[in-house]
Amino acid sequence: MSETQTEVFADATQVGGSGDVMIELDGVHKYFGAFHALKDINLNVGRQEVVVIIGPSGSGKSTTIRCINRLEKHDKGRIVVDGVALSEDVRNIQEIRRETGMVFQGFNLFPHLTVLENITIAPRLVRGKPKAVAEEKAMELLERVQIPEQANKYPGQLSGGQQQRVAIARSLAMEPKVMLFDEPTSALDPEMINEVLEVMMDLARESMTMIVVTHEMGFARQVADRVVFMADGEIVEVGTPEHFFTNPQEERTQKFLSQIL
Amino acid sequence: MISAWLKKNLFRSTGDSILTVVAGGLLGYAAFRMLRFVFVTGRWTVIKVNLNLLITGAWPQEELWRLTTVILALAAMAGLFMGLAAKQTALEAADDDDVEPMTAGERARSLVGRLWPAAGTVLLLLLLTETAGPWLLVAGVIVVSAVGWFVGKQLPLKAKGALTGGGVVLFAVLIWFLTLGVSWNSWGGMVLNLFLAAISIVLCFPFGVVLALGRRSEYPIVRGICTAYVELFRGVPLLGLLLMANVALGFFIPRGLVPGNVVKAIVVFTLFSAAYVAEIVRGGLQSVPRGQLEAGRAMGMSPITVTRKIILPQALRNVIPSLVGQFISLFKDTTLAGAALGMTDLLTGGQVLTAQKEFRGQGLIAETLIFVLLLFWAGSFTMSQESQRLESRLGIGER
Ligand SMILES: Nc1ncnc2c1ncn2[C@@H]1O[C@H](COP(=O)(O)OP(=O)(O)O)[C@@H](O)[C@H]1O
Ligand SMILES: [Mg+2]
Repeated sequence: MSETQTEVFADATQVGGSGDVMIELDGVHKYFGAFHALKDINLNVGRQEVVVIIGPSGSGKSTTIRCINRLEKHDKGRIVVDGVALSEDVRNIQEIRRETGMVFQGFNLFPHLTVLENITIAPRLVRGKPKAVAEEKAMELLERVQIPEQANKYPGQLSGGQQQRVAIARSLAMEPKVMLFDEPTSALDPEMINEVLEVMMDLARESMTMIVVTHEMGFARQVADRVVFMADGEIVEVGTPEHFFTNPQEERTQKFLSQIL
Repeated sequence: MISAWLKKNLFRSTGDSILTVVAGGLLGYAAFRMLRFVFVTGRWTVIKVNLNLLITGAWPQEELWRLTTVILALAAMAGLFMGLAAKQTALEAADDDDVEPMTAGERARSLVGRLWPAAGTVLLLLLLTETAGPWLLVAGVIVVSAVGWFVGKQLPLKAKGALTGGGVVLFAVLIWFLTLGVSWNSWGGMVLNLFLAAISIVLCFPFGVVLALGRRSEYPIVRGICTAYVELFRGVPLLGLLLMANVALGFFIPRGLVPGNVVKAIVVFTLFSAAYVAEIVRGGLQSVPRGQLEAGRAMGMSPITVTRKIILPQALRNVIPSLVGQFISLFKDTTLAGAALGMTDLLTGGQVLTAQKEFRGQGLIAETLIFVLLLFWAGSFTMSQESQRLESRLGIGER
């Protein structure tokens, strides 16, 4: 194993995980007006693989994962999620969204609904699950993120760490095949970061396919199969976590790592 | 304890004390003048004699029974709904350990706190009447709504949908039943103001919400139409629109199809207020962070579901005070219907009184105006209080 631990991937299209491809980004470009935010992104993520994306602010990390569930529309290239290519078709987009959970930096819980309602609303309205079934599943998930006692509270009554754990449970309630995390701990007070990371590590151990934008290198080291470093809308370097700790090749990578480590 | 409070709040310094004494003196004097007017110098016979006119206007006396029937039916319906709502609240409170159920005493106190302006006004009206009819009507309303309440509490929660549907149908039937005996032109008095306000509010609210959503549509044509509508109706005076409806409608549609005055007024109030409601709701929609929409979308919800279940509830909650403000304005603006359409609404009716043969030239305008304004105030204040209650109830989750 120790050989592969420091392996440098030639490009980001060689997948880890179980071997077959779960997410495929193929020559993806994205413009905001005249601004070229993503420049030819090629990235494949394997089934059950955990990929961590790092990079300076504004480098296009969020845009990349937001293109996968079409919160942003890419302008060129191909995106395939579990064999389904993203198209203009609304149904196709909704189908892909049902299979991809997303956790946001700012939680984005629904403040007018209780924790339980937050978790059950999408399964009930999108998947058409009966209330009782959805609630039972929600309670299971709350057990899993270790806050079953908060079920009837409103998000505003919870701490940041608890809110983010509810947000994770809310995404999991849709039984997604892929989870996308966009800096899930960046808005948290330091003492709450670990409780959220632990939930995410649990998920990784249970073989969830995950793309995680984060600067928590400890997390990356423990669970990431590959780390992707982005800068200026490009993928600059890809490798195992060990590779980034011991042997980063590119100058931009070295400079960035020296700032965060 | 009282002296300490007085010292702290009213007499902290010499300046404070002077202010307190002067302001207290002025207030006391004003209150004295007011009470003297109400109980000693005011001549209230004009109100007493004309109470019928003020409340129902030119409504034909022999058809009053229709109005009575409608009021009783509405009271029964309201009772049913409140009973069902009370059951739901009780069940939710039982579910949630954090919420203490209200004791009977607390409930009574909250009811008095909410209803005293309306109840006080009704009592005042009853004291001014000289026949038993109104007393019987109020007693009937209380009995019927109480019975409705108890029946409502027995219904299963699922009945809400059926009850709402039934309510709408019943309401349509009641309106039809009224039109059998009373023309749309002979409505009047306080009943007219309340009816115009209630119907227009119920109609302009959904219309305004649709307009607000339309202004954010991704289709430029929809956006354009909604924007043009809002700007058009906000740009003209309400009185002008009412006058248009009164005199100019005949130019646009065949004479035979011109509706009665009440219908005209409702159409104008609805079209006009919807534009304002749309702007208020649009502000509310803008106040909901974009992340809410993204979170809903990311879970595969359709745009309509996200709007209905995520965005609108938050947007509306954020604008309850402005919305209710708009509805209160609408209620008071119903007086313009009197002026523009030649109907004897409450305010016009009040002015008619002082021109009657027995009361002419006696300077009774103060008495009638005070009475009329009191009724409007009681209605507006009740709306305002209910809005605050709604706000605090819906605000539970926000800290
Ligand atoms: N909606 C938008 N409109 C215009 N520019 C945007 C928008 N979203 C992101 N950008 C720009 O695209 C670049 C990449 O953004 P983002 O993906 O959020 O970066 P990161 O997540 O790596 O910090 C930034 O320069 C940002 O300013
Ligand atoms: Mg970002």
